[in-house]
Amino acid sequence: MWQTLRAELHPHGLEIVTVALDTGGAEAARRWIDAAHPQHPALIDQAHQLDALLGIVNVPSGVWIDEQGMIVRPPEPAFPQRPAFQNVDPDNPELIERYRDNPRGLEVVREVLKLRIEPEAYVAALRDWVANGAASRYALAPDEVIRRSRPRPLEVAEAAASFELGQHLYRLGDQAAAVPWFRRAHRLQPDNWTYKRQAWSFADPRQGPTDLYEGDWLSDVRAIGAENYYPPLEF
Amino acid sequence: MILDTLDLDAAEFARRTGWEIKPEGACRDDRCVPLPAMPDVAVGHVDVRVFAEQLGMPLLHDEAHGLWSLGPEAGGRVLASAALPDIALPDLDGNLFALHTLRGQKVLLLAWASW
Repeated sequence: MWQTLRAELHPHGLEIVTVALDTGGAEAARRWIDAAHPQHPALIDQAHQLDALLGIVNVPSGVWIDEQGMIVRPPEPAFPQRPAFQNVDPDNPELIERYRDNPRGLEVVREVLKLRIEPEAYVAALRDWVANGAASRYALAPDEVIRRSRPRPLEVAEAAASFELGQHLYRLGDQAAAVPWFRRAHRLQPDNWTYKRQAWSFADPRQGPTDLYEGDWLSDVRAIGAENYYPPLEF
Repeated sequence: MILDTLDLDAAEFARRTGWEIKPEGACRDDRCVPLPAMPDVAVGHVDVRVFAEQLGMPLLHDEAHGLWSLGPEAGGRVLASAALPDIALPDLDGNLFALHTLRGQKVLLLAWASW
């Protein structure tokens, strides 16, 4: 997704580092990374360390770090272009036919079309930062970065500890034991989509309703409103 | 952080958490937090339960597997500083890559997922 932009901006001092928040590890992420043939570091975060460390609650999220290792923009939705899943005509007869035996799938497609995604604004800001560095209005001062970072009340800290136990047990091969810890993380931090989607994906790749979890992608997104799934960029 | 014991040798504790035990208490970067007495562990050891309570870190116990999970400090914000924490993660081949090696460049860190 990012190769073109990286080719444009790398000569001007920007490097991209992708991190797959994938408890499934290299096995889960490999085919995507291989297909991209990245020239940049492509890393795997099985334990979801970055979720708690940086305050990432959904993907894709972007964090900007300057030449001195200072964060100048904390995590926010980051799309390089309008994603393919949004370039879909929901009334296309071929699409409707394809989902004839999967009506829920068609509902998901329709919901996905309502997500707020702002690639043009994000890329313009990124270009401005690469060109102007600290003088760019998009590069935030340390106090502002801290202010914009997510609050961490006890429930959120506990959600991180709970999810960590879940992913650890999952990776040890005890999927059943992982579930209660994932469920607890979801209850403690319901707006953390990475905790939810990662867990749901193990029970059902389509992230539909299962016996194991209280929620599912479609129900949970409808509950908050699709336009809130990715919050608006704060420029 | 996953632990299989709440009794850690101080050096091991420092290595894993970044917190050093000094006379002033538990210290990290320019911060020191006083620690109460830890009568249940040997000298030179850290009682993780006591440490967690002082720092406001949740400590969860999975009895069935004899494991604990020590969570991050609660009560503030995710970022206490704008300085990027030390992050080192493996690539597809398992080779660890440390983000600080990119100092001198602007970095766009992109979190994504196969799910």
